[in-house]
Amino acid sequence: MRDAPRLKRLLPYAVVAAATGFLYAAAADIRYPARAGVLGPDFWPKLILALMLAVCAWKIASALLWRGHGEDRGVLEEWMETSAAGHDGPPDEPAPERRFWRLAGGIALSVAYVWALPRLGFFGATAPYLAAFIALGGYRRLGALALLSVGGTLLLLFFFMKVVYVSLPLGQGPFQQLTLALMQLMGIR
Amino acid sequence: MEGILAQLAAGFVGVFSPLNFAALAVGLLIGLLIALLPGLTLVMGVVLALPFTYRMDVTSAVILLTAMYVSGTYAGAWTSILFRVPGEPIDVPLLWDGYAMARKGQAAQALGWTLVAALVGGLAAATAMVLLSQPIARIALTLSTPEYFAIIFFGLASVVALGGASLANALISLFLGLLIATVGVDDTYGAHRFTFGVPLLADGIDYLIVMVGAYGLGEVFMRLELGFRSAPLESVGTAHTRLPRLKEVLALKGTFARSTLLGLIIGIVPGAGATVASFLSYGTEAQYGRRRRQMGEGIPEGIVAPQAAATSSVGGAMIPLMTMGIPGSGATAIILGAFLLHGLQPGPQVFQTSAHIVYTIFASVFVAVIGMCAIGYFAVRAMVRVLQFPEAIISAYVVMCCVLGAFAARNNITDVWLLVVFGVLGYLAERFRFPVSPLVLGAILGPLAESTFMTTMISFGNDWTVFFTRPVAGAVMALALVTLAIPLLRRLRQRRRIA
Repeated sequence: MRDAPRLKRLLPYAVVAAATGFLYAAAADIRYPARAGVLGPDFWPKLILALMLAVCAWKIASALLWRGHGEDRGVLEEWMETSAAGHDGPPDEPAPERRFWRLAGGIALSVAYVWALPRLGFFGATAPYLAAFIALGGYRRLGALALLSVGGTLLLLFFFMKVVYVSLPLGQGPFQQLTLALMQLMGIR
Repeated sequence: MEGILAQLAAGFVGVFSPLNFAALAVGLLIGLLIALLPGLTLVMGVVLALPFTYRMDVTSAVILLTAMYVSGTYAGAWTSILFRVPGEPIDVPLLWDGYAMARKGQAAQALGWTLVAALVGGLAAATAMVLLSQPIARIALTLSTPEYFAIIFFGLASVVALGGASLANALISLFLGLLIATVGVDDTYGAHRFTFGVPLLADGIDYLIVMVGAYGLGEVFMRLELGFRSAPLESVGTAHTRLPRLKEVLALKGTFARSTLLGLIIGIVPGAGATVASFLSYGTEAQYGRRRRQMGEGIPEGIVAPQAAATSSVGGAMIPLMTMGIPGSGATAIILGAFLLHGLQPGPQVFQTSAHIVYTIFASVFVAVIGMCAIGYFAVRAMVRVLQFPEAIISAYVVMCCVLGAFAARNNITDVWLLVVFGVLGYLAERFRFPVSPLVLGAILGPLAESTFMTTMISFGNDWTVFFTRPVAGAVMALALVTLAIPLLRRLRQRRRIA
């Protein structure tokens, strides 16, 4: 149990090392017509992966063998701390509580949005996404939410399709009809 | 010299063409607003503005982004001074003397000193940028691939040495960025690298997607988890700017000169930027300034030093970008992206082939500095009201800009999936204290690093010692290795002191 914090500290490096090992194996599989005396396209990625593995090994070994608590910090962080010493910083407030459900909700919403985008079209996917994201962020005034999500989406649709000429997803079936009707209303051809 | 001045004069004429001037005005306003809002950094702002420039011509697009970059170093000072809320890390040193002056009832004077510092630092650095760029471009024309690789290596080394809470984490971030840059079909052999059968990955991962995801979406996820809580604001009251008298400004000429020069040099160093400039300049003033003992008690030197250095770093950062095509910071990487999107590669040749574009952009920096100060003088009170806008709404639209930016790059939904992946990766990096800047800079400079390395190996028969035996390359590589060794040596010294 005494080693739990140390193992927790090691975990990110162990994960990175495992991923690096997997990618190294993938790099060994890169196929190309080799030329004598010339480095192949696998050399550079293998070099990077080897260096990455070396850094992970160094971190894991230093934690296991020397119980290294200190960090080789970047110069900037030290300068910042030295300059800040003795000065008032931003107002002292209790650290805000992390709410994992809100983060998970935000990521899930974003994944659902990307999935829905080609199916529901830009308008059909964006308006509900904006409303849901703003509500998740803690702003719950219904009238303003409706205006910000529907109005904002229409404004973005107009700007990107009419002014910047980006061909945004139209959607499928009835959603395509809806997007086309809105485009016609806004004079977008 | 006369040639440079003539080209700059033509550049000024170009800036005042309706389209370019409109781009500059919009860039200034958006840059100032973004710098004011906590949670939105100037790099993020420049990233998010990129998709709006796709249909512009290259000059207007770069002018808009550069204006945002310049003004992004300024407006955050207002909230530091008035509310003790720094808009972004650049503005933290401005709290110490700026807010202290405000507490003594001298907020207007503090805002006045900020304006003068930004004006002097910005204009002096822009002048240096114009004067130094052509000679540096001429030198750059004589450099070969080993020297280019050494310069890139130095940039990557400095971002690692500077960055974050852990050197090892910064290195892992950097290697990840370099690895992302290798995804796709290799230019020389046509070999597929890390594509895993996904057709779109064969075209590689655009570094803009990495930037938009890691800086934009990642930051939004981070703040969403914390519930978008910002510090409560005091009343805006009668905020206004009172300019110092010329005699008072001249009395601080040493501080102005030191901080502007420091900002310019730090701007030129790849990997460093406005934040480093701001902190280092404050630290230098606190150590060597005439009134060093009073720093922190609310004196103008404590405002002038960080502000002048932060704004002058912009002029410095533009030099390696324009003369060698090497972006040294997140914002200049986006500006490089805007150049490339329009089919123009910055570098020494651009001074010969498209000098009118280069000098119009240079001239726009002068106009942007003056313009942002004018807006600052007349509109502080109106602009700080933007802080009362709910962050949940701003963040939702930030996500929209990220999505549209990613989608519009190649009109492909796979890029939006990649955006979400890099958003989550950016969040995880921040959460587990892996700095994001080395990852992004690795993704940006990776292709250039690989191509210069491989070309050197082919040209010099796989002799890697060439990076150390050629005078310029060797000197730069030695500098890079010293830069990398600094954090380790400091650690050793600290250990010895403790022992």
